[in-house]
Parts: sequence; C-alpha cells; structure tokens
Amino acid sequence: MTDSMGIHVQGVHFGYPARPVLRGVDLTVRPGELTALIGLNGCGKSTLLRLAAGLLRPDRGRVLLGGDDLAALSRRATAVRVALLHQAAPAVPGMTVRHLVRQGRYAARGPLGMLREGDDPVVYRALRDVGVEQWADRDVDALSGGERQRVRLAMALAQDTRVLLLDEPTTYLDLHHQLDVLQTVVRLREERGLTVVMVLHDLAHAARFAERIVALREGLVVADGTPKEVVTPGLLADVLKVAGRVGADPEGGWPVCYPDHPLPALENENQFH
Amino acid sequence: MNRRFAALAALAVVCAAVELVAGRGMSPSTVWDLLGGGGDTTEQHIFWQLRLPRLLVAMGAGASLAVAGLILQSALRNPLAGPEVTGVTPGAVLGAVTATALGLAGWDSPLAVVVAACAGGCVGALLLWLLAGRAGGDPAQTAVYGVLVSAVLGGFTAMVLLVEPGELGSVVQWLVGTTEGRVWEHWHLLWPWALAWGAAAWLLAGPLTLLRCGDDIAQAAGLAARPARTLAMLCAVALTAGAVAAVGALGFVGLLVPHLAMALFGADLRVGLPGAALLGAVVVCGADAAAQLSSRLLPRVLDADQLTLPVGALTACLGAALLLVVVRRAPGRTF
Repeated sequence: MTDSMGIHVQGVHFGYPARPVLRGVDLTVRPGELTALIGLNGCGKSTLLRLAAGLLRPDRGRVLLGGDDLAALSRRATAVRVALLHQAAPAVPGMTVRHLVRQGRYAARGPLGMLREGDDPVVYRALRDVGVEQWADRDVDALSGGERQRVRLAMALAQDTRVLLLDEPTTYLDLHHQLDVLQTVVRLREERGLTVVMVLHDLAHAARFAERIVALREGLVVADGTPKEVVTPGLLADVLKVAGRVGADPEGGWPVCYPDHPLPALENENQFH
Repeated sequence: MNRRFAALAALAVVCAAVELVAGRGMSPSTVWDLLGGGGDTTEQHIFWQLRLPRLLVAMGAGASLAVAGLILQSALRNPLAGPEVTGVTPGAVLGAVTATALGLAGWDSPLAVVVAACAGGCVGALLLWLLAGRAGGDPAQTAVYGVLVSAVLGGFTAMVLLVEPGELGSVVQWLVGTTEGRVWEHWHLLWPWALAWGAAAWLLAGPLTLLRCGDDIAQAAGLAARPARTLAMLCAVALTAGAVAAVGALGFVGLLVPHLAMALFGADLRVGLPGAALLGAVVVCGADAAAQLSSRLLPRVLDADQLTLPVGALTACLGAALLLVVVRRAPGRTF
C-alpha cells in the first residue's frame, strides 16, 4: 500500500510532430515526498505533470503509479489515485463553491453516484482543509483570484488521492496568497503523508518549501536533489538562463537566489516554442 | 428550489388553462362544462381530440427543446449554443422534409419522420463538429460555424421544397414550427421518445456538470470528456428531432430557455435539467396560448377574415429579443 503513493517515470518520450517535448525522462518520486519541478517555459514541466496524471500518454516509456502502469488504467481509475490542479481556471458560471468542490468526487462516485444527494464527508473535509467552508454557498466566479485558487485546490483534494500534482499553483496570485496556498499544501502533506509534485516558477518558493528540486531543460532532467544541492549559480545559468548569486536564508538556512540579468537565449529555442 | 418548482408548475397549469380556452369559438364556461363531461358532440370532439393533444404536444416539444439546449450549452461550454444555431434543428428539418418529399415518411408514418429528423439532426451536429471541432471551442467562433451550417442546411431544405412542392403545405409548417392540427397520434409518438431521451440526459447530469467546468478540469476529475460529450450530444439531437418531427423548428426555445433555467435553478444539472424541461413546457404552452389569442384578436384589428399565427413565429420574435439581452448583459462570458 505504501508504494501506491510513489511515481515512476521510466524512459518517457513525448512530443508533437517536429516538436519533441520530453526526450527520455526517468524520475522516481518516493511516497510522501514534496518535489518541485523547475525549468524555463516550454522545457516540459507541465507535460511531465500531465503524463504523471495520466492525461497524456507517453510516445515511448511508461509511467507507473504505485506499480500500476497508467496506460492500463481508465480515466476514472486514474483520477482515484492522482489529482492534478491545472494552471488555468476557466469560469464556471452559476456554480457555488460547494458544488464545484463536490465535482471532485466524480472519480470515486461515478456518473450515477453523482446523481445521489447525500453528504460527502470528503467534500466537507476538503472545504475545511483550505479554509473555504464559510464561503461554501457563494458563487465561485464572484471570488477573488486567491480565494478561487483555494477552492480549486479543495476540488483536487476532494478526489481524496494519495498523490497531488500542482501545475504552477501560485501563478496570478499575490505574495500573501502564494504563501497561503503553498503552506496549505505543506501542511496537508505532513498531516496525510501525501506525495506532492508541483511545478513552480518561483525558485524562492521551490527552495523554501520543497524537499527535492528536479530541474528540466529541453525535455531532459538536468538536476535532481535537495534545494541546497541543486540551487547554485550554475543551475541559474544552465537551467533558468539567468546570471545570479545564491546565498542562504539567515534564519531557515535554505538557499536564496539573487538573479542579476538574463543570459543569451537558447540556441535552438524556436524548437520548443 | 422546491418553491421555484412549485411556482413554475402553477404557472404551467395557468398556461395550460389559458391555452385550452384560447382557441376560437369556445367560451371558458363551455370548457368548464366539457371538463365536467358536458357539452355537445362537436364541442367534445374539438376539446378532447384537438385541443388537449395540441396542448400536450406543445408542452412536450417545449420541454424537449429546452433540455436539448441545456445539454448543448453545457457539453459545448457555449452560451450561444442551441439546437437552432448548431445545425441540429435545421438538419432535423431537412431530414424530415427530405424523407417526406421522397415518400419515405409522411402523415401516415410519423415514426419515419422522427427517424429522418434524427438522422438529419446528427448530420447537422456532425457538420458543426467537422468545422468547429478543431477550432478549440471558442464560443463565438462555434456560433458562427453553427450559423453557417444552419444556413447551408436551410438552403438544402428550400431546394427540396422547390423540387418537390407537392407536400409544401404540410411541410412549410416544419420550417416555422406550429402546433396547429396536432392530435393524439403526435402525442403518443412524442412522449415516450422525449421521456426516454430526457431520462438518458438526466443520467448524464454528473458528466455534463463536469463538462461545464471545462475539459481539462473534467478530465483531471476522472471524466473521459470525449465519449461523455458524444453521448450528451446524441441525447440533444434525439430530443430535438422528436420535437421537430412533432411541431417543427420552434425558434429560439432551445437557445433561451436554458439561460432562464440556469438563472432559476443554478448550475446543478440534476435540478437544472428537469427545471429546464418544465420551463420549456411553460414557455411554448404560453406562447401557443398567446398565438391563439392573437389569432382571435388580430383579424378584428386588421379587418381580415381568418388569420392563424404559428407559435414558432412568436417564439422566434420573443427569443430574438431575449437573446439580445443575453448578449448585451454578458459580453465575453463563456456561459
């Protein structure tokens, strides 16, 4: 059962005609780990996350979730095991917070189960987890960006999975709400032993909150380790294409970056955009 | 929510009552007598064999179109979707007209009309999918393609009518939509069809609600979006075809009633779908009553002998006005 939380990405290739995205990625995420994926736009982070959620199928290689090949699982069976919070949030007119969060129960309840009325303790727990129960009957579209992101996180939590994948969960949020969302994720992972993989653009957040940072460049894993091991001036230059210095937080000790200026763009950048 | 249903049901009863007394040459007291079993044979025949089935067919068709519209708007995530503007209704009309012109269907074989309308509706939906399916589902663009498909199908219908004008009289009413002359035969065909597909649509309420959240979110939550959308579209086409075969292309009911239903019942489709059905029945029944009343009043005003206003003309005018409100109120909204 413990291994049902681990993710094994084995030799995965994925791409579109004339545009390879992932070019042989191997990655093992251990159960209960909090991993951050970093890299430039178009390096394949989001694609890797979607492959791990079973929303895309690899061209070559395979993705195992707790020993099960995702290619052999139905969409619903996959969604019982892994939840993915997408970066984009389309409007959901007329839906209340409770109603949207309830939609996260689809995988567990099925199309006919969703027709049943009835309290779902998991929905209440998800609403409480992110602290939105006081707005449960408000329209989602009437909420602010930060509140809406918490609601969408609650919807993913309502899937009650052991694995949680987050695609840039802090994009478009102000600093207050960025920390709010990330700390909620950290707390839930500690309470429940969730396996969490998140794509983060902000290296400061990755260094502060993740135990492990995996860096991607041009569809390959180029660095993998603890924040202290990975976050170096060399990584800033190689992976993020910026010149900068790296220090340490005076209190927490985690690495802190001081980016200075962008380096010349990738030679074959057009291939990835 | 229950109170809203009750209010709507009361409104349905009122509309039905008005519809029953709205026709020519029968006073409300005569109708009351007839309900109690009185009246002479002619009056009895008019009431029990003409007015009552007409009322039921109007309600059934309205409910079918409203549910079909709500399914389309949810499955396509498009506030401008409706059977009329996605090629489904024009396709169904073309199917019905063509089958009638070829002698494959007609008044003596109403089931064939339904099947032909269904096939035509599928063709319309398929054309839209071929054109707009890859466009990424931008609502305005899909609506433009829908209008295009509808125009082409309408042109084909006109061609069939010009080539084969023999059936013109009975066929023209399919183009506008009318409940004139609908009898028990139509009702017996409509209700099992509408009930079966309506029930199927209700069973899809869960997937449809997820589709309203967008494909990405729906898939992440465990829904195989594509097959779910195909099944939902099938229900919408079948419901539209049933309504078109019974009363013709009633304008704008399927496009606008869903908006009213959303406003009244919210995005929970377990409630929204039956709500839309009731609302559609009320709207078409009310429009038919209004059309009959004005058919009685207008000749006096216009000094004409006889005038029969088809209900489809009324719903189209009413619907166009309401559509303007929807478009003005929410520019750039996805629903």
